[in-house]
Amino acid sequence: MPKEFRFYNPPFDRLTAEERATFTAALDIVFLKAGETVIPPGAQPDQFYVVIKGLVQERDGREVVAIRGPEDSFDSHSLVHGPHGHAFVVEEEALCYAVPRPIVLDLIRANPGFGAFFYLEISRKLDALALQAEQRQLNALMTARVSDALLHPPSIIDGDATIEQAGHRMRDLNTNTMLVRKVGDEADGAIGIVTGMNLSKAVILNRRPLDTLVQEASHFDLVTVRPNDFIFSALLLMTRHDKRRLVVQDGDTFLGILDEIDVLGFLSSNSHVVADRIERAANLDDLHAAAAEINRIVETMHHQGVKVRLINELVAELSRKLFARLYAFVAPESLAGQACLIAMGSQGRAEQSLRTDQDNGVILRQPVDPEDLQVLRDRFAGTLLEFGYPPCPGKISIDNPLWSKPLAAYRDDFRNWVRTPDKDAPMNVAIFYDAVAVAGEADLVHEAKHALFDLARGNSAFHAHFARAIDSFVTPLGLFHNLVVGKGERRDALDLKKGGIFPIVHGVRSLALEKELEETNTTERILRLGDLNLFERSFANDLIEAYHFMLELQLKSKLAGRHKGLPPDTLVRPDDLTTLERDLLRDALYVVKLFRELVRHHFRLNVF
Amino acid sequence: MPILRAIRRQVDRFKLRDREFRFLFDRDPGDALVALDCETTGLDPWVDEIVSIAAIKIRGNRICTSERLEILVQPTTELEDENVKVHRLRPIDLAGGLPMEEALRTLLRFVGSRTLVGYYLEFDVAMLDKYMLEFLGISLPNRCIEVSGLYYDKVVRRDRGRYIDLRFATIAEALDLPALSQHDAFNDALMAAMMYVKLTQGGPKERPLETFVERPPGLG
Repeated sequence: MPKEFRFYNPPFDRLTAEERATFTAALDIVFLKAGETVIPPGAQPDQFYVVIKGLVQERDGREVVAIRGPEDSFDSHSLVHGPHGHAFVVEEEALCYAVPRPIVLDLIRANPGFGAFFYLEISRKLDALALQAEQRQLNALMTARVSDALLHPPSIIDGDATIEQAGHRMRDLNTNTMLVRKVGDEADGAIGIVTGMNLSKAVILNRRPLDTLVQEASHFDLVTVRPNDFIFSALLLMTRHDKRRLVVQDGDTFLGILDEIDVLGFLSSNSHVVADRIERAANLDDLHAAAAEINRIVETMHHQGVKVRLINELVAELSRKLFARLYAFVAPESLAGQACLIAMGSQGRAEQSLRTDQDNGVILRQPVDPEDLQVLRDRFAGTLLEFGYPPCPGKISIDNPLWSKPLAAYRDDFRNWVRTPDKDAPMNVAIFYDAVAVAGEADLVHEAKHALFDLARGNSAFHAHFARAIDSFVTPLGLFHNLVVGKGERRDALDLKKGGIFPIVHGVRSLALEKELEETNTTERILRLGDLNLFERSFANDLIEAYHFMLELQLKSKLAGRHKGLPPDTLVRPDDLTTLERDLLRDALYVVKLFRELVRHHFRLNVF
Repeated sequence: MPILRAIRRQVDRFKLRDREFRFLFDRDPGDALVALDCETTGLDPWVDEIVSIAAIKIRGNRICTSERLEILVQPTTELEDENVKVHRLRPIDLAGGLPMEEALRTLLRFVGSRTLVGYYLEFDVAMLDKYMLEFLGISLPNRCIEVSGLYYDKVVRRDRGRYIDLRFATIAEALDLPALSQHDAFNDALMAAMMYVKLTQGGPKERPLETFVERPPGLG
């Protein structure tokens, strides 16, 4: 069986052929009985184990902090850092490979890529994963096709139009490139290309009159590609022919123009194109088309290995642009200077990757004409629904009077939420505290938040009550158990949102609210809390990495689910994870556990 | 039987041709057992030959695959095609092997006077005895443990009404062992070692071995 050791499993996939031979030669197989203690707490094990079959618990005192199943290994912590307080106990009788510690230590020293896996800090393990991400980016370039990139629709102008007419057409169509059909005796019907730059050059540099025929300023040596060609071959063609634009042609049909900037943009995601589309949208239809692009971008960027934090920031940026633009279209004139459109919840924290719900509201400087307000509510929420933004299940949207009212009314609500909280109060405070201004009078948000701070300041019972929600969901490590052994439909899945992401978001929010931070993004809040010495810098880093890692897994799982046509959920299935990802998830959940304890201690949740 | 065996040991000790191998009659040091498997050209010990031998030490709950012996044996006759298909050792693979006498001596030095463990070990021992008699004038004196016998004692006999099915694959599945490709001397010796360890070390008393076999097949 050592012959069949699964070297494709990280970190063993990083061993060279020679190192694999050394490793294989040293492998023994041990049989461990249920209930047996493999490594007692505080002991320095002389073996490193890789599970073949069975389950082994990692225990901290009486608490099970992790479960090792087939292909998982233990204990990398004591292997590198020496003994610690955790014990390893066999839960279900197990067959394991056992390798002497000195052999593994030698390999760690000889092979840094292999060694990275064994370091404690999750951030260092993630560096090892980064290599895989680079690979993915390269793959995107190698496998994407021209039809995947954004094409500028072709508009054809006759060659006997003047360059002045061509210039006006370009402006009207909001494009910089047009196809030109050659007119004349010879080569009639030939197709060429003209750009805004060509027109300017003709007039300014060559002093041609404005009634020059456009075909005289055009190029007729088109380089064409087919929609099925690979992006990288398009890039090669551009380089080879020194062209910045290619014409995409399918048979006799012109499908569009592929711009160099879009090819490059495709590689670093084509977000700027969508941003541009939103800005330029002349009506709701244009805006609708741009909105549809947002989810596509997320997927492309994810496949290109872009970090989830960047994706989220970009999506937030695009969504806010979209909301602002939509607000400009639908807000009645009477509201000008009187209202602020806000994004709340995950929208406000810039932590929504695939758009999920609306999460928006409005703050009014003073009461306005109820009819105008109703027009705004109906149009704004209605249009978003048409754009494919589902209504928020908690009715956190502008068409709910709770989230569209004058500042003074918000103030009254805050007072009730803080002084006489009902069961919804903590959630409402949480949602509002994450709000950012999207369009209109930003000072209204600022003023409202400070009203909230003033009411809550020094009220430790309120803060403790608010923080308590971190304990609303069962500890994920228990779920992790099922995750390894479960066989049912949902039993084999871990709810990452409840078990890992929410406790971080809400714990951080609780601390940030108490410290009256204005930041809304969880990562930024963590950094600021670190500056305020609420925890060590290294812990802040681990918390951020753990959080991002879980967001990454969640996005991956959501995208995979969408491809399979499953309803969106926040479950992560272990079978879809690699061993390294499972190991990182375990580490991340351990960080969550430590953080929960920190928050509990900070707010004295055990006392209140 | 023990008396007969004791007498035979005494006779064999006298008949042993090569004094180097007197250690075979020493007391079993008890530090390890040795799982053994041979691949052969066929199933008739009188005509067929050994093509490979694997032996793995077992120390308590540990199967010491890092202390293993794997020997390929140079055949004295042409291998038949059908046979090559079973153990997948082509004549060219075996050309670099040891002559049988050398292979046997290496194996005996590795095993010493320890107890042997195997599946259908009787056959492997019969094959080895052919060469033992030829080269050393005695048969293999080591104590032998048959894993299918252990399985029968510990599992089948406790479960009356169960079919007596002692096939290799059945036992492997009943004991929830990982599937390895068969007809490789090393893998077969390793499987036998895992069966032995699991049958002897398996589960605490209050959790009888039957729990393994009650699982519906395939769930393993």
